[in-house]
Amino acid sequence: MSQIFIVDDDEAIRDALGWLFRSRGHTVRTWPSAEALIGSGEIAHCGCLLLDIRMDGMSGLELFGWLHEHGHEMPVIFLTGHGDVPMAVGAIKQGAFDFVEKPFNDNELVDRALAALDMHQQQLSKRAAAQAIEERVAQLTQREIEVMERVLAGQMNKVIASDLGVTMRTVEVHRARIFEKMGVRSAVELAQVLAARK
Amino acid sequence: MNSPSFVSTFRPRATPVSAPGWYWMVPRVAIALFLLAIGTLVWWLHRNDLDEQRSTMINDVLWMEQDLRFHLDRNAEQMAQIGREAADGRLDARVIEARQRNLIANGHGLLRVDTIARIDANDPDLSGPARLAEQLGRAAYLPPYATADGDVHFDVLVPLGGGQGWMRGTYSIEQMLAQSVPWWFAERYKLDVIDNTETVLASKSKVAAEHDEMNYALVFDPPGHGLRLRVTAYRSDTRLLPALLVVTIVGLAFTMLWSLWALRRHLVRRLEAEQALREEHTFRSAMENSLSIGLRARDLSGRITHVNPAFCRMVGWSAEELMAMSPPMPYWAPEEAEHIRALHDGILAGGATAHEALELKFIRRNGERFDVLISEAPLVDADGHHVGWMSSVLDITERKEAEELYRQQQEKLQFTGRLITMGEMASTLAHELNQPLSAIASYSTACLNMVDNGSGSLADLKEPLAKMNAQARRAGTIIRRVHEFVRRSEPKRVACSLNDVVEEALGLIEADARKRDIRISSSLAGALPLVSADRVMIEQVLLNLIRNGMDAMAACPPERRRLLIQTSADAEGVQVSVRDSGSGIPPEVADKLFAPFFTTKPDGMGMGLNICRSIVELHRGRLWFESADGGGTVFILKLPAGE
Repeated sequence: MSQIFIVDDDEAIRDALGWLFRSRGHTVRTWPSAEALIGSGEIAHCGCLLLDIRMDGMSGLELFGWLHEHGHEMPVIFLTGHGDVPMAVGAIKQGAFDFVEKPFNDNELVDRALAALDMHQQQLSKRAAAQAIEERVAQLTQREIEVMERVLAGQMNKVIASDLGVTMRTVEVHRARIFEKMGVRSAVELAQVLAARK
Repeated sequence: MNSPSFVSTFRPRATPVSAPGWYWMVPRVAIALFLLAIGTLVWWLHRNDLDEQRSTMINDVLWMEQDLRFHLDRNAEQMAQIGREAADGRLDARVIEARQRNLIANGHGLLRVDTIARIDANDPDLSGPARLAEQLGRAAYLPPYATADGDVHFDVLVPLGGGQGWMRGTYSIEQMLAQSVPWWFAERYKLDVIDNTETVLASKSKVAAEHDEMNYALVFDPPGHGLRLRVTAYRSDTRLLPALLVVTIVGLAFTMLWSLWALRRHLVRRLEAEQALREEHTFRSAMENSLSIGLRARDLSGRITHVNPAFCRMVGWSAEELMAMSPPMPYWAPEEAEHIRALHDGILAGGATAHEALELKFIRRNGERFDVLISEAPLVDADGHHVGWMSSVLDITERKEAEELYRQQQEKLQFTGRLITMGEMASTLAHELNQPLSAIASYSTACLNMVDNGSGSLADLKEPLAKMNAQARRAGTIIRRVHEFVRRSEPKRVACSLNDVVEEALGLIEADARKRDIRISSSLAGALPLVSADRVMIEQVLLNLIRNGMDAMAACPPERRRLLIQTSADAEGVQVSVRDSGSGIPPEVADKLFAPFFTTKPDGMGMGLNICRSIVELHRGRLWFESADGGGTVFILKLPAGE
């Protein structure tokens, strides 16, 4: 289950943000430093990361880089102080979700975090759906893929049969098998499923 | 005293005439010719002398021979006369005998005389000569013959004429020489009688002559028969005057040669010395001309006798113009002319022999004023006489300007340094303020949310509100410190406790230290005497020292990053020490540490410690550092106690 994680070296901030998110009915998990988060091994459960840009030891930006290197793609929102805006803008360019300047408008921060979390969830489910389609396509035989490409191109069964040098009957069997394996009932539906994959 | 010779020694000398080849040839040839002439003269005199001696000798020999002949002839005549008178029978036989004895006594070698009445014609020795004598009517001499006692004798036959017979005389050659040769002759010559075979028959002297060149032989006739008289000169007596003259001439010639050689040597040395002097002079001129320090020589009356180009450049007058001037000099700044005049007169009066440098104001020809540093030294000539004064003149305008500029910059930098410290502090504090403010905002929003959606009771609100309160106080503390820090106006010295200052500084630095993971501990002495100080300034010094200490530990592992601040008091005053546990200060850095613009930090200005020391010294205190036990450095700030 994806959660909102907060990394900040100021205990007051961590505590205050914890209260804030709880007051909106969400729980958050907080870490006092980047090293603590990495060391916890909980990183895979993170759906949205609120990251203080200035910290002792590993800074927020360094943690951001580390996440990229290790293939974690959760949205990151930087919490910045005065004078760190250029740094934060640089982070956005590198793919961070957003940054908020301290002192921030708190409910807006919660909204941004929830939106990011939501986006992350959507991304996760989209990826899961795409993966399911891939798995179905993988079940098709070579001949069935040839037939499917022609069906998607809108060719009639007759044309397909003459193209491939088989009988109409064979094409119809292939077609039925494709629809069955892909879990669809019509060519239109098949096209929609495959379009989602792309 | 105006010594022209002194001035001239500084003028470049004309290049010397190089001696051409014949310069040395003429005297050499003359000397050779002279020696040749002297030699010729001596040789010629010698030759002349020998010739003269030889002709004298020949004359003497001829005279000797004449003398001998004369005696022989006279003896023969007397013998004939005695014989004839004896034959006449007119004289008594005793008279005859007496005459004969008389003849023998004065006969120059005549040994005996006898009368021969007739001569046997068969006697081969006597008949020939007897007949010859008869026919010629004069004496005939017989060949010489040796006698038993080693003498050589010869006989003479004197015809008496008219068949009266002959007189025969027998001579001893040795006796003849002994009786005929006078002493002066024997002294000068050796006289020999020799025969055909060069055998010496008789000799006047037994002493051999030392050299044979000087001899002369002539026929001894009569007696003839191949006898010869040979004369050999003894060593020619050297005549004193010519010899003395020759010796004198030769001696003088050598004296002349020696003196010429000595003269030449002297000349060569003199030329070498001149060359060396010239080189030395050129070298010194070049050195003097290349100096940037002005040199000025004055005589005892204060007139300039020499200046170098640097001095001319400095004042703008040429050397010739300066030489013609007398005090007051046009390069004395008018406003200081009186002062300079007094100094000038004081120096001339000989009031001091070794001056310390004087700082004066001069004026250039174009009216520009400049500061000079003058050192005077007495000028002493080769004889040890004090002839004037030598001064070196250093233009210190730029130096003074630089000093002034440095002082201004120092002031500016102190100001800037303070601003920068303030700016950094403000930035740090602003950042630090964000933290409690953000926390407060979050807590309050949380409270509002809880109230809005009714998810919490009043009791639930208590905790975030209390935390909010704490954060507000945190922010307030920060604000108050900033406020106090910034509110500083003019430096104000008030009685204050160093402990308070330390605590305030610690409050300001706390955030920074936490960020750098440095633990600052303090050990403050109770009941510290008050000091009179501008607490903001002292606080700034402390902040600087603390920050330096933290920088020094940047490379240390976190567990070693500890900064200890202690206060204590003793009889001299109150002191604060800031001890870090860094790697200490290397010796090469230690002595430059307080120098302005010296920094070990990549972005440092190098003003911090310099300003700190200035501030501490402004408070009549001291700032220094020592090595801490177990590594690191202790900076100690000490202020005098009291109001």
